[in-house]
Amino acid sequence: MKIVLFSDIHSNLPALESFFDDVDKRDVDAIYCLGDLVGYNIWPNEVIEEIRKRKIPTIAGNYDFGIGRKSDDCGCAYKTDEEKANGKISISLTNELVSENNRAYLRTLPAHVNVEFQLNDDQLNLLLVHGSPRKINEYLFEDRGEKSMIRIMEQANADIMCFGHTHKPYHRIFNSGEESKPHFRHAINLGSIGKPKDSDSRGSYVILEIDENASVLNKDSISVEFVKFKYDIEKAAKAVEDSKLPNSYADNLRNGY
Amino acid sequence: METTKDLYFSKEHTWIKIENKTGTVGITAFAQGELGEIVYVDLPNVGDDFKQDEVFGSVEALKTVSDLFIPLSGEVTAVNENLLDNPTLVNEKPFDDGWIIKLKIDNVDELSNLLNHEDYQKIITE
Repeated sequence: MKIVLFSDIHSNLPALESFFDDVDKRDVDAIYCLGDLVGYNIWPNEVIEEIRKRKIPTIAGNYDFGIGRKSDDCGCAYKTDEEKANGKISISLTNELVSENNRAYLRTLPAHVNVEFQLNDDQLNLLLVHGSPRKINEYLFEDRGEKSMIRIMEQANADIMCFGHTHKPYHRIFNSGEESKPHFRHAINLGSIGKPKDSDSRGSYVILEIDENASVLNKDSISVEFVKFKYDIEKAAKAVEDSKLPNSYADNLRNGY
Repeated sequence: METTKDLYFSKEHTWIKIENKTGTVGITAFAQGELGEIVYVDLPNVGDDFKQDEVFGSVEALKTVSDLFIPLSGEVTAVNENLLDNPTLVNEKPFDDGWIIKLKIDNVDELSNLLNHEDYQKIITE
């Protein structure tokens, strides 16, 4: 089974449209969205409506959770005063733009999706979260310690844990079993469709392939492909510059950070 | 903060309050402020021994993870199990309900390596 996983669109409609163009050319079986549909760009309604139109199973990101409740806090854990000031402008504009119907949709998005595979030799649990299983807005960066990652995945009973939120894609494999009887667990960060921060301005998503012989005993038994796609960055960046949003958000799009 | 006047501090932003030969250890208000919302505290086991400045656990915040360094050598006699369900106690009451471990102190002479309230205030405002 081939599963497309994507997240962190952040109201970037040109990026979402190019993503769908790319996916539509491929032969895949399922698609899931791991949240953060809104914020930082000017098309929150268009993005929500496109995802609703396609009936894509979607979980809530921290930004969706905040906008769904008309909050002025997106749970973004900004550090600097500049980030905080810019963040306020973004959440305020997003609250202004989002229709009540779409806001109600955001409020009903689930926190997690758990997909349980029954394969030839094994059961595999695929857990989809936005930040981490315990916090919608926890940042699981690539340098997070192995002990911490294994604990988080064990507590959530996740053999494959997919998440977003940091906008920096990676795939790490951990053995939480023993050498003689391994239990391999996969942590997969999807990157971001509409606000990449890995110094690559293209959008990013994942195709996860699980075949009938996949098992926690074999670390190579699932395949993870990171797909990068081009989109009309200038269209999105100029729209940011023509709006109330901070111009630095346009530079972020152009430079991928 | 009045209640912190009697505490000793490490440069690694842990505090210790000493009563007889037992120390209560936590992280400072400054440290929790820098870390942001704490999501998990990785606690040691009761009975574990640590030498001064060794790592005895870690705190996992929303954006970062930080090791915890023990201010004095000793044996862990208690851990704050309330933190397992409610780690943000460390944010809310770092010098009080957010304590992390209790310690049977090996050697009080090591106190000379720690900072008093005033000296700690200096290093965090530098």
